[in-house]
Amino acid sequence: MSKKDHRFVYPRQVGFPVADLKLQGASDEELALLSKESGTGLSVDELKRIIEYFEKKGRDPTDMELQALGQAWSEHCCYKSSKVFLKEFVFGIDTPDVIDRGDAGVMSFDGEHAYALRVESHNHPSAVEPYGGAATGIGGIVRDVLCMGAQPVALVDPLFFGPLDFPQEKMPQGVKHPNYLMRGVVGGISDYGNRIGIPTISGGVWFDSDYLGNCLVNVGCVGIARKEHLLRNRVGGVGDVLVLAGGYTGRDGIHGVTFASAVLTETSESESRGAVQLGDPITKEPLIHACLEAAARGLVRGMKDLGGGGLSCVVGEIAFAAGLGALVHLERVPLKEEGLAPWEIWVSESQERMMLAVDKNRLREVLDIFQLYDVPATPIGEVVAEPVVKVLYKNINVLEMDLDFLTGGPLYCRPLAERAVPTPGGETLPKEPEDYEKALMQMLAHPNVASREWVIRLYDHEVRGSTVVKPLHGVPGHSSHGDAAVLRPVHDSWRGLAIATASDPWRTSLDPFNGGCGIIDEACRNLAAVGARPHSLTDCLNFGNPENPEVLWTFKESVRGIGKVAGDLRMPIPSGNVSFYNEYHDRAIHPTPVVLGCGIVSDARKCVTSDLKRSGDSLYLLGPAHSHMGGSLYYRLHNGEGAVPGVDTALLASCIEALVRSIEAGHVEACHDVSDGGLAVALAEMCIGGQIGAEIDITALGDARTDLKLFCEGNTRWLVEVRQDREEHLRQLCAGLPLHRIGTVRGSAVDIKDGDDIITAKVSEAEDAWKGTLWRLLG
Amino acid sequence: MRPRDVRVCVLRIEGTNCEQEAYQAFADLGAQPEIVHLKQLTGAAPERMRRNLEDYHALMFPGGFSAGDYVRAGAVLAARVKSALSKNLVPFIESGKPVLGVCNGFQALVELGMLPGFGGPMAAAPEAALGTNDSGRFECRPTFLKNENKGKCAFTATIPHGGVIMCPSAHAEGKFILPIEQERELLKRLEDSDQIVFRYVNPEGKRAGHPWNPNGSLDDIAGICSAQGNVMGMMPHPERVFTRYTHPDWTRNFVGPRGDGMAIFESILEYVAHRF
Repeated sequence: MSKKDHRFVYPRQVGFPVADLKLQGASDEELALLSKESGTGLSVDELKRIIEYFEKKGRDPTDMELQALGQAWSEHCCYKSSKVFLKEFVFGIDTPDVIDRGDAGVMSFDGEHAYALRVESHNHPSAVEPYGGAATGIGGIVRDVLCMGAQPVALVDPLFFGPLDFPQEKMPQGVKHPNYLMRGVVGGISDYGNRIGIPTISGGVWFDSDYLGNCLVNVGCVGIARKEHLLRNRVGGVGDVLVLAGGYTGRDGIHGVTFASAVLTETSESESRGAVQLGDPITKEPLIHACLEAAARGLVRGMKDLGGGGLSCVVGEIAFAAGLGALVHLERVPLKEEGLAPWEIWVSESQERMMLAVDKNRLREVLDIFQLYDVPATPIGEVVAEPVVKVLYKNINVLEMDLDFLTGGPLYCRPLAERAVPTPGGETLPKEPEDYEKALMQMLAHPNVASREWVIRLYDHEVRGSTVVKPLHGVPGHSSHGDAAVLRPVHDSWRGLAIATASDPWRTSLDPFNGGCGIIDEACRNLAAVGARPHSLTDCLNFGNPENPEVLWTFKESVRGIGKVAGDLRMPIPSGNVSFYNEYHDRAIHPTPVVLGCGIVSDARKCVTSDLKRSGDSLYLLGPAHSHMGGSLYYRLHNGEGAVPGVDTALLASCIEALVRSIEAGHVEACHDVSDGGLAVALAEMCIGGQIGAEIDITALGDARTDLKLFCEGNTRWLVEVRQDREEHLRQLCAGLPLHRIGTVRGSAVDIKDGDDIITAKVSEAEDAWKGTLWRLLG
Repeated sequence: MRPRDVRVCVLRIEGTNCEQEAYQAFADLGAQPEIVHLKQLTGAAPERMRRNLEDYHALMFPGGFSAGDYVRAGAVLAARVKSALSKNLVPFIESGKPVLGVCNGFQALVELGMLPGFGGPMAAAPEAALGTNDSGRFECRPTFLKNENKGKCAFTATIPHGGVIMCPSAHAEGKFILPIEQERELLKRLEDSDQIVFRYVNPEGKRAGHPWNPNGSLDDIAGICSAQGNVMGMMPHPERVFTRYTHPDWTRNFVGPRGDGMAIFESILEYVAHRF
């Protein structure tokens, strides 16, 4: 900015680029232009507040101070549009198991151990540079977990793209084709996640033309720590040395957070390519070891990662969280290249960096550890008593701000505009299919249902040797999707940590409240299906521009739904992320809340998987026989319209408990939650994984139309395989709950009757339909 | 010596990332493993952290992406070991102590010239290679291995000849190849000197091509040992199936808590205990 010839900018003659900004008397238009040219994204009102602050101090701000405020006050960093709703609906959900709500949430796992969890977005960088954007997304979320003192043990990647076969000639200007984006994103995750040795065990891929202009790349991470090794994201006390560890600082990733807090356009690529950071997993991998070793030896008083906003955010936040301040000597920061202006060093989001607060008497020991791993670690400053951040560059004061001002970003109650949602009674039924088998095959082959093997096998989901339930399970060579993955994170214990991902942009789009409720139901269903008790959640809320009142209402309603079900189930959400401005020009994406659910398995050796086990076992549907179908795959494919199903949280809680107890008691051979494509698709997947057929008759589900019974995606439903000699036990544990015996495991076909024969499809044909799609589209 | 007295050095540099589970496998059998950074063995670490290779009875090169594997997989690790540790490593091998390389560790042993080891314990240049998978993709999938060794290999003594174990693969460069002009001759030499340890097979124990051979390896070779039998490399990961509960089908095919990979680690300890 200081290079620009601008009437407000007064470069200092000090031998390096730093400038004072004389902003008094600037018009609104001039301030708006300044915001744009500086890349800070500050609003005119925000700039006026800054001018007022510096008038009171009796001096002009430096360009670096303005840049620091642009980072700290960005939507990405301070949640200025969303916080009011998060406070109202989710922050209050608490249990005694919540240990910390820092950069990652921390929950109690067992007496001695805790797990950390977080999911966040890396959408805009991935839209511009899919490989690097996704890789650095992984890098960032790993640091969020690491800075709690936890060893990352699992990665989770929910991804949303436009249709893979979208015609190239119809692609919007300046937008990359979904096929290219998906290859790049998956490649970036694979190359980064595999190299740092953290298994990628859950996630999802969703396709819809709404994501053409703005793909979504969410990244989640879960870690484990001994409770006494947990760290806080704050300094210990005055005199602590601030040690910057890990990668060098460069010009990559400048203005990442402001880029993330603006709408994408056809010029995003040329203007914002430099906002995408460069990942280096081979700096990250030893950085993880060194940080954890230092933490385990009690040498670290506080730790925080450098993510959005770089040093400018981490220094202020780590000091202010302890009510203290910091003094930084910026020229000590090791650089990738010469010639960076101080403000660039201060806001750079270069990857693989951590900030450690270290007792000065233990500094040598910490530096020795990093030296062994060949990871740079540099003392760059110290903690001071006054809550002020002061930055010197070659002994010249280039930044000095009160931390309550710097970190006290604005909070907005922006206007909301309610819109109608489909209500029960207004149903438009699709025409009943003439050929049910064809309808089922079409669904199995649908990109949103089809086998994810193309993706999953590119990710190492077994490194660390503790993945008990894998993303693909069943007969080797024919395995099918599981509902949740299960890790055994503590080696000398069989207590399991289950991890599941849920999102349903179509239902959330039609009815954000019930859609929000539904994804919590789905996350819980997935966890319960393997035998885990739902324990905590973390969410990434991807929406359009919050300055659009309808978008913000959708956000509020989704959060209300998430908070309702999570609150009723007493599942805290100790961390999360909001990603706004997911739009291409004025076209917002589907409102896309994504949740990562964690559950506790009392004994991982009791887990069950979705593949059918043996001929002669009985099949039950646990949960309501049918419900509304708005937003379901069947309605989307066949032009049905209707209300989005709600969640009966009391029923959900009772069903989870009954199912988990049945699994723990060994009564359940296989279990699969009923979601996309309904009962028919769930059954087919179970048959594929087990390489065995099933005969079911859905007359037991009432006299609704066959297609509605077969393809209903209502909440709180599972398909359960039970040995005949255990059926009575299952019935007893599920007493008072909707439990329908629908058939038997047998033969080699998916054989469905509704009184009459409806579908008789060979399992091998169903497998071909289900497995081929992504290979055909991606090669 | 008793198995619990066996000291195992599990080697680490940046990017080796399977050392923890490798360590755990030895520890669970009661041995004395230690994760040791290469710099601790070469004198480049602060003094109190230094270690001597000769103080260990076994050496393991674990899986991962050492130094990022941005050139041929394992090449950078091998170059560092060769330049700084050869003088310790060669006598270590010559004394009969076992050296195991899994996945990236196998790649490093081949790059070091330690496998196949036609030209002695550490050939001047690599004698084989682990090339890019035929699919061009990283592949994380269940693989089945038939024990083809007739008794030379120190690492499979507790697996019956012809027995099949499940051992998952996860790599992008695992295609075992020999110099093309001598391929048949060298392959025969491997066979004749009983250096072939594992071949990829399908669950029924038959050789069956992709995906059961995940990378297109010559003659379905998954693991080989040195002519003396005390150096072995294999692409699949035995440490990931130390218990049955990490097998990909344990919920349908449960035959007891013991994982198929345990035998490799047991064999090492038995070999050392018997011999030293």
